[in-house]
Amino acid sequence: MVGGKNILAMNREGFARMSFLLQKLAAGLVLATSMSAYAAAQDSMTIGLLVPTSGSEATYGQDMANAAELALEEINAAGGVLGQQVSTIVGDDACDPQQSVNAASKLASSGVVGVVGGYCSGATLPTLKIFADAKIPFVIAAANSTQLIPANSGNAFMINSTGNDQVARALEYFNSKGVNTIALVDQGDAYSQDLANLTRQRWEESGKTVATSETVNKGEQDYSAVVTSIRSANPDAVFWTAYYADGGLLIRQLRQAGYQGIIAVGDGSNSPELFNIAGSSAEGVIAFSNPTAEFLPNAKAFVDSYTAKFGHAPGPYAPLTYDGTKLLASAIEEAGSTDPAAITEALKGAEFTEGLAGDISFTDENTLARSNFIVLEGKGGAWALAE
Amino acid sequence: MIERSPVHSPLGRLQGVWDNPAYRWPLIFGLLALMVVAPHVLGPYATVILTNALLYVVLALGLNVVVGYAGLLDLGYAAFFAVGAYTIGIVHHVYGLDFWLTLPIAVLAAAGAGIIIGSPTLRLRSDYLAIVTLGFGEIVRFSARNLSITGGASGISGIERPWIFGWEMRSSMDFYYVFCVLAVLAVIASLRVADSRLGRAWLYVRHDEDAAEAMGIDRVKVKLAAYVIGAIYGSIAGAFFAVNLGAISPESFSFQQSVLILMAVILGGMGKVPGVILGAFIVILAPELLRDVGELRLLVFAAGLLLIMLFRPKGIWPSQGR
Amino acid sequence: MALTDLVLQQLVNGLVLGSFYALVALGYTMVFGVVKLLNFAHGEVYMVGGFAGFVVLSVVSGALGSGWTAVAFSMVLAMIGVGFLGVVIQRIAYQPMLSAPRLSILITALAVSLVLQNSILGATGGRYVPFGADLGFGGINLGNLFISHNQIILVGTAGVLMLSLELFISRTQYGRAMRAVSIDKDMCRLMGIDVNRVIAVTFFLGSGLAAAAGTMAGAYYGSLWYFMGFLIGLKAFTAAVIGGIGSIPGAMLGGLILGLLESFGTMIPGVGSAWKDVFSFSILILVLVFKPTGLLGKSEQERM
Repeated sequence: MVGGKNILAMNREGFARMSFLLQKLAAGLVLATSMSAYAAAQDSMTIGLLVPTSGSEATYGQDMANAAELALEEINAAGGVLGQQVSTIVGDDACDPQQSVNAASKLASSGVVGVVGGYCSGATLPTLKIFADAKIPFVIAAANSTQLIPANSGNAFMINSTGNDQVARALEYFNSKGVNTIALVDQGDAYSQDLANLTRQRWEESGKTVATSETVNKGEQDYSAVVTSIRSANPDAVFWTAYYADGGLLIRQLRQAGYQGIIAVGDGSNSPELFNIAGSSAEGVIAFSNPTAEFLPNAKAFVDSYTAKFGHAPGPYAPLTYDGTKLLASAIEEAGSTDPAAITEALKGAEFTEGLAGDISFTDENTLARSNFIVLEGKGGAWALAE
Repeated sequence: MIERSPVHSPLGRLQGVWDNPAYRWPLIFGLLALMVVAPHVLGPYATVILTNALLYVVLALGLNVVVGYAGLLDLGYAAFFAVGAYTIGIVHHVYGLDFWLTLPIAVLAAAGAGIIIGSPTLRLRSDYLAIVTLGFGEIVRFSARNLSITGGASGISGIERPWIFGWEMRSSMDFYYVFCVLAVLAVIASLRVADSRLGRAWLYVRHDEDAAEAMGIDRVKVKLAAYVIGAIYGSIAGAFFAVNLGAISPESFSFQQSVLILMAVILGGMGKVPGVILGAFIVILAPELLRDVGELRLLVFAAGLLLIMLFRPKGIWPSQGR
Repeated sequence: MALTDLVLQQLVNGLVLGSFYALVALGYTMVFGVVKLLNFAHGEVYMVGGFAGFVVLSVVSGALGSGWTAVAFSMVLAMIGVGFLGVVIQRIAYQPMLSAPRLSILITALAVSLVLQNSILGATGGRYVPFGADLGFGGINLGNLFISHNQIILVGTAGVLMLSLELFISRTQYGRAMRAVSIDKDMCRLMGIDVNRVIAVTFFLGSGLAAAAGTMAGAYYGSLWYFMGFLIGLKAFTAAVIGGIGSIPGAMLGGLILGLLESFGTMIPGVGSAWKDVFSFSILILVLVFKPTGLLGKSEQERM
């Protein structure tokens, strides 16, 4: 590499190569976008699914995607929506606010007529604006933090009961058992902190005492220090407001350390996995839960076809996602077009009675008009309805 | 591993093109023109992703001042990003001060945070400094999670968009251009500061701290300057991040976030502005482009990282001879 | 619960947690001492160690049951297997990078940790895996204070492992070589020490100890998860630095101190568990301000 001539030659070649690469890249990108536009113009419609299919909550997300797919399979077999076949496109939010923004933008720009999903409240929150700006109706199947309500600009619909309903159900249960003092444990994320704060507020308003409020970090494994604090405060009941994974460990460590009182968990912990993690300690644990498939009389056929298709039983949010997908389809049918305003209008006035998890209609805030919370109890390594 | 001479690899050729002034300016104008037309050609999804990449360009250039120029390992850079974002969230959104008046407050707050954490700890050698910055980052994140003024774990949402000359920054396209401007300003500032007296002082300190001190450079002061400048970049990025997303929460400022920014700096080539820009684009675009690979996308991404570092141990586009 | 009982109980909790931190911190500090590398994949090695122990346990539980004997056996096999994994990681991802800038190795370490995490994620589907050990709930009651047998065995095992390591390093030829390599690699090469072999042994031991901690964690807490290495990796790195990175007794001390800080951090009145990490990181920063090379670290020159 000596001499100016040589360097110049090399530069020319490098430059040519680079511009070639850039051309190829641009061509590829243009092709990709024009292909999605082409797909949208076809005689079919696409529904977006915003669920976590990677990361720590991937099991729940995959389960929701499966349920939506099953619902659409049935819809398509019956002739589709507005005479068109419906397909899905999955946006993986990884239960992470930043990734969910990317996933939602991807869905918004791929011409979907509506979106179903939303599992983690924290990851769902920033997507509301994106779907509102793109005027896409969004049926939120699982996420139920009360923080979502004020952020909704009218195109999102929450078909799971919110934290308010859950707290009401929890307080009712605690009072029926004569509980006077409770300990609250959350995991420092939007969903569980919101639920713990709401519970503390309502519980103290009713003149009772919160013995201690604790926060643990996700994935910490060792909760002995918190367990010791709880034991020294000695409350009548412990309410874990976060997800099953760390909840299972906490329950196990509470029982091992000899805590005898009631242990209750919120709807983020209603998974059968809790029994894998907590083992025999989960016996007698109370869960406030949205209705899961095994306790829904209408869901028998759904459970069978789901199990046949995917090789395992549906998870806790499968029925709601299935209902949400069918609700969206029926709203499009009622609107008579894929015009977003008409679909939103149809959802607002929906009187949906074909749901596995019960009827769906909405309040003025676009939340479910009734409370769907049930009380479960851990019995013999599985959930059963509590008396 | 045999290190290939940079001129023989395709990237080396690219560097060669870059270093030749006859090509550099046309290339720069070409890239700027591409940036202007990109959102119109590529559509809204790509616009959001590119905006995100430009945000990381600003962040990575800021961290590059600390890591690349001054040679200080910082594992908690997201803290400054958080200070900028939360200052906007609290002062602009909660107390209603205009965005453009809040911006200098955010910058001052981050610079102040840089001085507070930097002055007692910058005497430490790099691995100890790394853990102090990591600890500082975690303290900021946990405080944001636990305090009520920061909105707890849910954070602050519904942050109002800024107006400039009677125009409201609203759509994702608007913010794309805002971040384009920010990135260009960050590049110019980085290049100028590297060539300044301070930039040369960093060079000495990075190569031989003791010799630099013997030559009369106050190493703590010089390092503190790097820290504060890096903090300013982070806070400005954070401020615009907050108004773009409209919602901020502690999860966006985790240790993983700091590591991602650091990855952009090292992957691209510490201390070299075009390298850092390239690094930022890779860490943001690669996982997005791999979305269709499905569950294995992070595995593919990791394998790619490993291969890049094995073949280009100094980063893709390292600074040479400095 | 009386205050003294509370304090004693938190002391026990802190010792157990600190033993895990110390075992993992040893791997960080040994590798750093010998090759000046922050092995950010070490937390993932702990996680893989847990899964290795789980695999061995499910194979041998037919013959050995699922009590402490079987767990001990699984632990030893997991230590050996994962020790070799450590050597392989070093050969693939670190050895070629030894002449590169130190921070570049940080990226390969992060890449290795992503590879390990996502491989286990793929194998387990992201689910929690019950470890399958059955260790019982028995223990000693001293008034309100409760110490389980498992806690005693766990802290004891960690102590034995750390003591053996200390003996290995101070009494054997390899140990002496490790100390020599940590002082001056080039000089050792000239003196005829097989430096690469010494580095391999270091990675083997560090990864083995992490695997021991991973297996014990699986048995003690009852389940495994692909992401369980992240937080403990971070904490163990912190512990190693508090103690003085590169110092073996420092890593043990740092681990125990961090464990105790976190336990007692939940007791601060009016503050509670939400702030415990703020508390322990603040103490860490204070320690480093006053002891810039950690509690037991030596000051040394360095270049980036």
